[in-house]
Amino acid sequence: MMHQPPGSATMVATATSLAPVLRIGAVSKRFGATTVLEDCSLDVAEGEIVTLLGPSGCGKTTLLRCVAGFLDADGGDVRIDGQDMRPVAVNRRPVGVVFQSYALFPHLTVAKNVGYAMRMQGIARAEADRRIAAALSTVSLSEFGDRYPAQLSGGQQQRVAIARVLVMEPRVLLLDEPFNALDAKLRGTMQVELRQLIKRLGLTAIFVTHDQEEALTMSDRIAVMRAGRIEQAAPPGEIFDYPSTAYVADFVGSSNFWTSTAEDGAIALPDGQTRATELSGAVEVMARPHNLKLAPHGDTPWAGRVSFSRMVGPLIEYHVETPNGSVLQVAAMRQDHARPIDDGAPVSIAVVDPAFCAVYPAR
Amino acid sequence: MSDAALPQPIAPRGIGERMVDALLSGRGIWPAVPAIVVLTLVAVIPFVILLSLGFADIVVSRGEIVSQTLSFQHLTNALTDPLYWSTFQRSLNLALTTTIVCLIFGYPVAYLFLVSGKWTKRLILVLTIAPLLTSGIVRTYAWLVILGGRGVVNSTLMSLGMIDQPLRIMNTHWAVLIGMVQIHLPVMILPLIAVMSRHDKSLVEASENLGASRLGTLRTVILPLSVPGIGTGAALVFALSYTTFVVPQLLGGGNYLNAATMIYEQVVFSLEWSKGSVSALILMVTCLIVLVGIALVTNHFTRWTRGHGA
Repeated sequence: MMHQPPGSATMVATATSLAPVLRIGAVSKRFGATTVLEDCSLDVAEGEIVTLLGPSGCGKTTLLRCVAGFLDADGGDVRIDGQDMRPVAVNRRPVGVVFQSYALFPHLTVAKNVGYAMRMQGIARAEADRRIAAALSTVSLSEFGDRYPAQLSGGQQQRVAIARVLVMEPRVLLLDEPFNALDAKLRGTMQVELRQLIKRLGLTAIFVTHDQEEALTMSDRIAVMRAGRIEQAAPPGEIFDYPSTAYVADFVGSSNFWTSTAEDGAIALPDGQTRATELSGAVEVMARPHNLKLAPHGDTPWAGRVSFSRMVGPLIEYHVETPNGSVLQVAAMRQDHARPIDDGAPVSIAVVDPAFCAVYPAR
Repeated sequence: MSDAALPQPIAPRGIGERMVDALLSGRGIWPAVPAIVVLTLVAVIPFVILLSLGFADIVVSRGEIVSQTLSFQHLTNALTDPLYWSTFQRSLNLALTTTIVCLIFGYPVAYLFLVSGKWTKRLILVLTIAPLLTSGIVRTYAWLVILGGRGVVNSTLMSLGMIDQPLRIMNTHWAVLIGMVQIHLPVMILPLIAVMSRHDKSLVEASENLGASRLGTLRTVILPLSVPGIGTGAALVFALSYTTFVVPQLLGGGNYLNAATMIYEQVVFSLEWSKGSVSALILMVTCLIVLVGIALVTNHFTRWTRGHGA
């Protein structure tokens, strides 16, 4: 699908590896008095899958629609391969959109849906048929060309929607919550399949979701959005292990927060250990459930009582109520044959690795 | 959006099937009983009486019916009378023209409704529905004022110097057509709007994203998907304008003979009830034939709703 233009191979390679395919520069958007997007900047490199992750109403879909051209940004610009997209009409932009509802044309067969873009471009029938067949085979739907969308399952409809934009050979693929309409089990399978397909074709993609697991599965990089701003954009591991703000830590993965005070470049952790920090004054400390462990009662000064426990695959998740009333989540590997700690049992809590606790200024 | 308030178009299939299902299974028939009783009293029984008048040779002597025999004489007379043929042809022409003109004027309004914002949508709905709130007779009389010799149209044209003498619009075929289109336009627009708003809005965006121009999207997505609305609107406008009485009678100045005005004259002035009965039957049968034709054409263009191959 991607092909190098003829000419100086090294020059081209250098250029493509350095310049982002898509550059979103300080995009702002207001609807009346409401600011929906504020100063959003994001570069997407060739072949990269970037997820816009955030709760509903954070502006992620609005940003996607600005890139697609369905909306005009009030400020900032969108560039694809360096070209300013502002003067480019929606039907001339080199982007392919997979809609949340798939938006398949119900009156056209699968093959005609897939061939729609070529029909609009006036591409010859024989060439179009060849490319339709290739696209349907890419998404393993070769047998379904004559069916109507209503005769397909949700997963198959999604694959048609993907094939329909693939034949356009778009520079950027935009996916707006494409798994929402699928049931939970199929969703997991389709996520893996879709990521592998996009990677195999070397496509550059932006993917919008409110589901953090989906984001962790699909993305090379996640941009966490909050109230119209991009809070942090980083690879999934970095987002998970080193969330740059308390909001990101709270939104991605489970987390335990408590307040503390930083003095002389260090914070005293409740279990007696210390954590170095550059902050001073009131701070918020965050530990992931797997960075906490339970110890026999009295081992550390951080005491609590197990209020609930459940098995989550190979882990046991404990909820521990501390004397001040807050509830901490602690994840422990399930030991063979060992009985989980009973509800109500007094325990002590310890931090596994203080360096993996995140520290933020108090909110 | 206030789409929920719109009347949903009558599905050509579905309702019939469901009624048959309900009748066969015995479930769900009881809620329909009051309607069936009313329809029997006000539609079926009068219809049977009407038919019996048309197909009976009634001999009356001194105000009493002497004999009643089955006869096809009135029907044969009607079918061989050139006046009937020309009258029904005029009715058919008028109704088909009205339907097509309503579609030509109504479709852009429905398209505008689809692509415009919340307030424009409301305005279009109000402007479409408002005429339905006044009686057809009142609206027809309004056209007398507008189209008359000293009416708004003529006085404007004359004051602009475009004409010297008033145009004769009233009591012509044109006056009837103008009145018919104005009266029946909402009946075309409402089903179009209902069908168009039913589809996923992102279909239009998808079409544009795939490289279609506005016109391309209209031609390849919006138009094919609005065929059921076109069918419903066309059927309603045709049925209403084919059988209409008030507009031709008032704007045609009493000398515009269409099927309904002919039946009126036969029944009210000539007191030839048998002739009127046969005319009404012909009117109903020909109307049904055209409606079936519209349904067949609509079905042909909506094969996808039944999931057959293209």
